[in-house]
Amino acid sequence: MKKEFYEMTYILNPVLDDEKFKELVDYVNKLIEDNDGDLVEVDEWGTRQLAYPIEKKNSGYYVNLYFEAPKTAIEPLERNMRINDDITRYLTLKYDAKMKRHYDLKKKGDLPVIFDDVEEGDNSDED
Amino acid sequence: MINNPSHPKKGHLKNKECKFTKAGIEYIDYKDTETLLRFINDQGKILPRRVTGNSARHQRQFSTAVKRARFMAMIPYVTENLR
Repeated sequence: MKKEFYEMTYILNPVLDDEKFKELVDYVNKLIEDNDGDLVEVDEWGTRQLAYPIEKKNSGYYVNLYFEAPKTAIEPLERNMRINDDITRYLTLKYDAKMKRHYDLKKKGDLPVIFDDVEEGDNSDED
Repeated sequence: MINNPSHPKKGHLKNKECKFTKAGIEYIDYKDTETLLRFINDQGKILPRRVTGNSARHQRQFSTAVKRARFMAMIPYVTENLR
């Protein structure tokens, strides 16, 4: 079946320890691979401050990943993530041609600059 | 707004030019909070096109990006003072 390019970000419960984080990331990666998907990139942002409390917690462990998978893989993947209590939030996006081009440019590191009067720390959240 | 030299309202310069079009952006990424923060006000509200000069297409993309970023708790839904 034809594979689509997807991006997913999810937030893990921050009270866990590093070992559990690794276990959960492996768990999600395995879910994708079991559903006939190929991982392209897995980027762990680490523990970050949330803009507002979720489930009475003020921080979360962010993981951002890109993968290729058939359309049918998404439903079982999201169902499993919803069931898991340690995954507080997730967002899956299907990439179209424009978004894919944007991603490739970002990979190469020559994204068009919107503001040329950049202040300090403009590259701080470029991952 | 006062402390932000690149704020679209600063200096009453009516710059009716879409910054995204000018830069040749094809997709506004919700993960790029630095850029998103430039086009929302201190309460975290999305600024209207008449203020920012965004093109209709980019304003739609931008508002989607803001809503995604809010959902993922990268920027707040409501706040007293963002900056």
